[in-house]
Amino acid sequence: MKKKDKISRPNPQAVGTETGTAPSVPIMNQTENPKIRLENINYYYGKGTPFEVKALDSVSLDIHAGKLTGIIGHTGSGKSTLVQLLNGLSRAGEGRVLLDGTDIWAKPKDIGRIRYRVGLVMQYPEYQLFEETVFADIAFGPRNMGLSEEEIRERVVEAAAFAGVPADLMDKSPFDLSGGQKRRVAIAGIMAMRPEVLVLDEPAAGLDPQGRHTIFQGIRHYNRNTGCTVLIVSHSMEDMAQYCDDVVVMAHAKVLMAGDRDYIFSRADELEAVGLDIPQVTKLCQLLRRGGMPMPAGLYTVEAAEEALEAIFSQAKGQRKGGKQA
Amino acid sequence: MKGFAFGQYYPARSVLHRMDPRAKVICAVAYIVASFLCKNTFSFLLLLVSAFALILISRIPMKVVLRSIKALIFIMAFTAVLNIFWIVDTSEGAAPLVDFWVIKIYAKGLYHAAFILVRILAMVIGTGLFLTYTTTPIALTDALESLLRPLAKIKVPVHAFAMMMTIALRFIPTIMEETEKIMSAQKARGADFTTGSLAKRAKALIPIIVPLFASAFRRADELATAMECRCYHGGEGRTKLRVLKYHGRDAFALIFVALFIGGIVAINIFGRKYGWLYTM
Repeated sequence: MKKKDKISRPNPQAVGTETGTAPSVPIMNQTENPKIRLENINYYYGKGTPFEVKALDSVSLDIHAGKLTGIIGHTGSGKSTLVQLLNGLSRAGEGRVLLDGTDIWAKPKDIGRIRYRVGLVMQYPEYQLFEETVFADIAFGPRNMGLSEEEIRERVVEAAAFAGVPADLMDKSPFDLSGGQKRRVAIAGIMAMRPEVLVLDEPAAGLDPQGRHTIFQGIRHYNRNTGCTVLIVSHSMEDMAQYCDDVVVMAHAKVLMAGDRDYIFSRADELEAVGLDIPQVTKLCQLLRRGGMPMPAGLYTVEAAEEALEAIFSQAKGQRKGGKQA
Repeated sequence: MKGFAFGQYYPARSVLHRMDPRAKVICAVAYIVASFLCKNTFSFLLLLVSAFALILISRIPMKVVLRSIKALIFIMAFTAVLNIFWIVDTSEGAAPLVDFWVIKIYAKGLYHAAFILVRILAMVIGTGLFLTYTTTPIALTDALESLLRPLAKIKVPVHAFAMMMTIALRFIPTIMEETEKIMSAQKARGADFTTGSLAKRAKALIPIIVPLFASAFRRADELATAMECRCYHGGEGRTKLRVLKYHGRDAFALIFVALFIGGIVAINIFGRKYGWLYTM
């Protein structure tokens, strides 16, 4: 199921159109066997009160299996609301959430089992640590699953390695760790459940650049090694550009656009139009292009930009040489 | 978790909102006293009318006030039923209205039930309108600090108490939000708070309580540091941004409540002379 997404270009007509409350909205980032499919989701806060807010407005979206998908948007764009729907922590008033093609609310009593399949790391997860030792805290999820001690131990060790929790911290109290370490322990706690989908809400919020890098590297490594579908909510385009395969852009409770990195960053102008910042490299290329340099659109890594510049320079050099010879 | 009593402040423009919070505290206490002084049909009627008059004066929608009473409906129904079945009229010539098996219902029981209902209703409406609905928690603590100041003479740390209360009130919504977040986070790890035996459910609360306390202590620590940074050193020599000041309307309200109590006492005395006013 992994690498066959080339057919799944998002439907350009569907992108950013005002479909309103049409009965069915075209599914963004559509694919044949999505890990998660959201169908026409509407979500309200305080429905029926004067304070009613529509947090999600006709959201239809596919999340591709095995990929690392980034969800990006401003505060209040609905991204945190969206991720809480994925594991059934909250339930949308309208629309369905399909996990491997089955509605997660088909049997409301079994929603607990869905939470093991879709692991959610909430914002600032370090504040949910409570056990006496780091080991026990990471083991909390697996223990709730009713696994054997042996299996629990194995999973905890594995998850700790992925999340970057050193073995010598295992017997310490989680309250004695540094902020970044706590964060990694909390992430390991979800990874240890071996979910099919791992969802992380702002996993690097409040960390320094080094800490951000370590966390994202770990998550990417985890995604590549386990084949687990991973979703990351973030508001940093730089991180998205660097680590994600697919990007979902949210604005004003809707999905503005969704697709793979190349596609999203080729539309950098639209991203800027809704007030999202684009990676600095993309910005630079944009400026160069506006200045008359033939830079290709949609570059988002330093390496790619470097290559493009080299190509342009060598071409220019060749032309100049050619000119002299003539 | 919504509609918590302390979060009930309802902004509106009314005399009750503008009154000095100290006067409101005194009025609220006096109103409770008045509701207990009521003895007969007429005084209870007056109490009921006054409660609804207060709602009108406060300009708070009737719906909002009635919603808070809805929460008390169980306790009110329970007291009423208890009174109806429990009260036995031993006076001469008192025949039960209903006499069936062990159930005997007297007119006196019905009256008592009605009286108690009115008393609870008036107390809830009265204190609610004088205090929580029309007074912000901060104004309320200011008022209590000011009213309790005489106790400082006998070394009661009045300012410290008031500050503690202010902080506690301020953090109730924060902690509630935090509880919800932690609950969600633990649910995501498969915690189950709703099924199993009582012991199992009590144990299931540990993953909530431990992080909640940890974060409450962390917050307290941060708050203490922040207060220290702003040179907080207790109440001594501390001035207030909003100085409480009595106005004409406060004097008017206090006199009015005093008259109200006087009126109820007068009705009680008056009612004893005339048997047709049913007396409790």
